[in-house]
Amino acid sequence: MIARHDFAARVAVVEDLTPACFRLELLCSRPVAAEPGQFVMLRCAPGLDPLLRRAFSLAGVRHIGDDVVVEMHLKEVGKGSALLRRLAPGAEVAMLGPLGHGFTLDDPGGQRLGLVAGGIGLPPVLFAAEVLAARGSPFDLFFGASTARELYEVERLAAAVSAVGGELVLCTDDGSRGEPGFVTAALERRLDAGRRYARLLSCGPDSMLAALGRLATRRGLDAELSLEAPMACGVGVCLGCVVELEDGRLVPSCKEGPVFPLDRLAARWRS
Amino acid sequence: MNVDLTTRVGTLQLANPILTASGTFGYGLDLADLCPPERLGGIVTKGLSPQLRRGNIPPRIVETAAGLINAIGLQNIGVEAFCRDMLPELAARRVTVVVNVFGESPAAYREVIARCERVEGVAAYELNVSCPNVSAGGMEFGHDPALLASLTAACRAGTDKPLWVKLSPNAPDLVGTGKAAVDGGADALSLINTLRAMAIDAVRRRPVLQRGCGGLSGPAIKPIALRMVWEVHRAMPSTPLVGIGGIETGRDVAEFLLAGASAVEVGTAVFRDPAAPVRILGELERFCAAEGIAAVDELIGGLQWPC
Repeated sequence: MIARHDFAARVAVVEDLTPACFRLELLCSRPVAAEPGQFVMLRCAPGLDPLLRRAFSLAGVRHIGDDVVVEMHLKEVGKGSALLRRLAPGAEVAMLGPLGHGFTLDDPGGQRLGLVAGGIGLPPVLFAAEVLAARGSPFDLFFGASTARELYEVERLAAAVSAVGGELVLCTDDGSRGEPGFVTAALERRLDAGRRYARLLSCGPDSMLAALGRLATRRGLDAELSLEAPMACGVGVCLGCVVELEDGRLVPSCKEGPVFPLDRLAARWRS
Repeated sequence: MNVDLTTRVGTLQLANPILTASGTFGYGLDLADLCPPERLGGIVTKGLSPQLRRGNIPPRIVETAAGLINAIGLQNIGVEAFCRDMLPELAARRVTVVVNVFGESPAAYREVIARCERVEGVAAYELNVSCPNVSAGGMEFGHDPALLASLTAACRAGTDKPLWVKLSPNAPDLVGTGKAAVDGGADALSLINTLRAMAIDAVRRRPVLQRGCGGLSGPAIKPIALRMVWEVHRAMPSTPLVGIGGIETGRDVAEFLLAGASAVEVGTAVFRDPAAPVRILGELERFCAAEGIAAVDELIGGLQWPC
């Protein structure tokens, strides 16, 4: 396991990405060894409100000299994320991590990977894309959102994809940018045209992940899904964030996930 | 100033008064990298039953104002896996281990204790008779003094080690159940478990938790827990108490000791800050030093009256 630590991080950047989403970059004073798909628990404010930390997936980690920059993309959905959005550069934020298990990024025989993101599910997929691009491992990336203004970081995605000769496929539900309709339909069209993937790596809303799970099952493809569940502790002791597995066990997503191989998950993710 | 942090709960000597509450620190080793269990007075395990338990269907937790409602349902690995896989390392680290015992019948409680009696490394037992989140066992024993006395007596017959009974704040007669536990042979009482509570999603017009209700913990319940510790201490001054409920700081610990507790368990604070138990210990030591208290046990039951 990659060593976790409770960092006293400092805010470096808070900036809007879309009307609802923002980028948060934190500076850490010691190395953060994280893999795509892992997450951190952030304390949103001193005091008792909110009481618990919030879990956020990592969008990237950059080591610049002695500084370590940890990047996250957050959607403002409640009190915790709203407080984080209002933080000023230099503010201290307790950051526990990295936590959980990330995506499997090896590419057997140089076969390409299919990365699939929906909405604010992009951060771990972007992180994976940039790691794969740096390694020269081929992949295609599918990014879907409800409308054009919810598609963000498109230039970074395009740069990562083009570095390995892959395809970037953008989709919007309303057809305002890219291919109209769901990412899973865009993915299926490529599969129909004969494209093959060693594995699908995916993060997004449950409905998208379930559609992807059904598609992968129909096509006999390996897939990994990054699931979201409400967490109290993030370290496997509260047992609040359990996910049902294929064998009926309920396991904490924070410790055994948040990325799960599709074939380990309960049948409802596959049928 | 050097502060003597040692305390004792009945015959059980503790290096300091800080323990972890059941269900918030795993089996004692899960967070060892962030909060070394050997630095604490002790750890109380996740409630252990004879066989593993799957627990409740999610959603299981919801945050409320300064609190957390949970309905985990006593998911645990079972006493056998604990004794086989966890206890040897806990013993090697010289951690004071209190096993939280749960069963659906008196025989099941006895079975957990009997399994632990066959190995080294258990310092004491805490009977969970107050879990609000299971349909059989648990709270039904904690609410009926006669049932509780006989359950405690059955467990008492199975061990010579210290036996604590964790009281339910939901019981109609808290002191009555405490006395019943002591009549049955309990050496100490720990209190309080979570308070029955619920959260409602007004838009969906449904309860937030799958079970509808759960148990409230966290700073929101601290004043209630303090009042209950004080009431039980006043009614049963010779019975050692372990205070539980919303402890976040060293000063909170001092308050529980003054109310009559000999030690405390830190629970929900661990979810906010995995190192909370060691942090709180440091704060308690500094509080005592600042107040000129040479030994932490001077505080126990030291509440002066009136305000």
